[in-house]
Amino acid sequence: MKAGEPDAWRVPPASTLLAAVLLIACAEVGGACMVKFKLELTRWARAVIQARPATHGLVGVRDVDEEVIDELLVKFDAALRLFHLHGEGMGLVIIATTMTAATLVRADAARRAITALLTVGGAGYPVGYLLWGVLIPHYGIDRGKTLAEWLVWIPFGGATIVAVWWLTALLGLGLVRRP
Amino acid sequence: MPLAPGHWPRPLPPAALTPGPRLVYPRGQGDPPSGLRVDGIGVRRPPLAVVFVAVLIIALGETAGAVMSQLRPQLDTYARARIAANAQVHGLAGSAEYDGEVIARTVYVTEAGLSFFHTHAQGLGPVVLFASTLAATAVRRRRARTVLYVLLSVGGLFPAGYLVYSLAALELGRESGVELAERYVLTPLGAAAIVGLLVLAALIVAGRGRRPAA
Repeated sequence: MKAGEPDAWRVPPASTLLAAVLLIACAEVGGACMVKFKLELTRWARAVIQARPATHGLVGVRDVDEEVIDELLVKFDAALRLFHLHGEGMGLVIIATTMTAATLVRADAARRAITALLTVGGAGYPVGYLLWGVLIPHYGIDRGKTLAEWLVWIPFGGATIVAVWWLTALLGLGLVRRP
Repeated sequence: MPLAPGHWPRPLPPAALTPGPRLVYPRGQGDPPSGLRVDGIGVRRPPLAVVFVAVLIIALGETAGAVMSQLRPQLDTYARARIAANAQVHGLAGSAEYDGEVIARTVYVTEAGLSFFHTHAQGLGPVVLFASTLAATAVRRRRARTVLYVLLSVGGLFPAGYLVYSLAALELGRESGVELAERYVLTPLGAAAIVGLLVLAALIVAGRGRRPAA
């Protein structure tokens, strides 16, 4: 068979592939950095937390404060892990879904919109976990999560969800209307 | 780039990269924008139904992640309400301390099921898409391809087993619910995916050196 035949996959735009591969690369690097610089990252987070006692409710009693700091450090580590995990996953999801859109969505406007939403949403969403990780030592777990939600997760995650359901609906219609 | 006089020719170790004439590909033989080409083999797409299953699983996984994040309090309330409604199967004894621990463990299992659904759906959707693409491209026999499509599509529904896992834990009790989901949903669906991937691998190995699917 030759490329370009009706049942051949079509390549999504180069910018989309670049975004997906960059995201996977960043997630890989993120995972490696978590291992290599674990001590430095923990020291940095602890220093930032201790510089903001009022924000985190530190009272100056070691036994009490250490428990609070431990919880913040666990969440800080979890946020970095989630960035690693979601970056790896979303990179592949972007490639799989935009390849599907490029091949099976016939209407130009719909195909472009779905591809743009999947690319921007998919590449941006995992960054929210990185942002949350950075915000935890500065603003605490809940405030950091709220900021990450409104700045990244809701807009970018929302874009991805809208696009992937739009794509699913078009594929479903294609199945129903198929002769 | 022109080489400095006396720089070439010079002895080179075996297998070293040697300067040679620049490769010029004939017009039209580069990567065309309309189709993926790997080593001159056009990459086929699987049937629309298989692609639909893969994208549907991804969509459900994405949505589950958002629901878990945004509706956590509501999910927790629902889980506690269902446990209270099925007090007998959960073995609630009326002791606040004991019941509290049983409820917390069951809610944890329910949340874990949703989390597993989210992660497995995000992972398995692309696996189904790419594995069925391999089947469409590399497996010559039509009947074998059809069997693979069925196995991979059914296996692609494996993450839905974790939804059953979550709900069954609430309705039938933690142990019984998890056992039911594992035995009747997760194991058969997971086995379909594993068998599909193993058969695909075997067919690819068996078909090495032969012409790709026409």
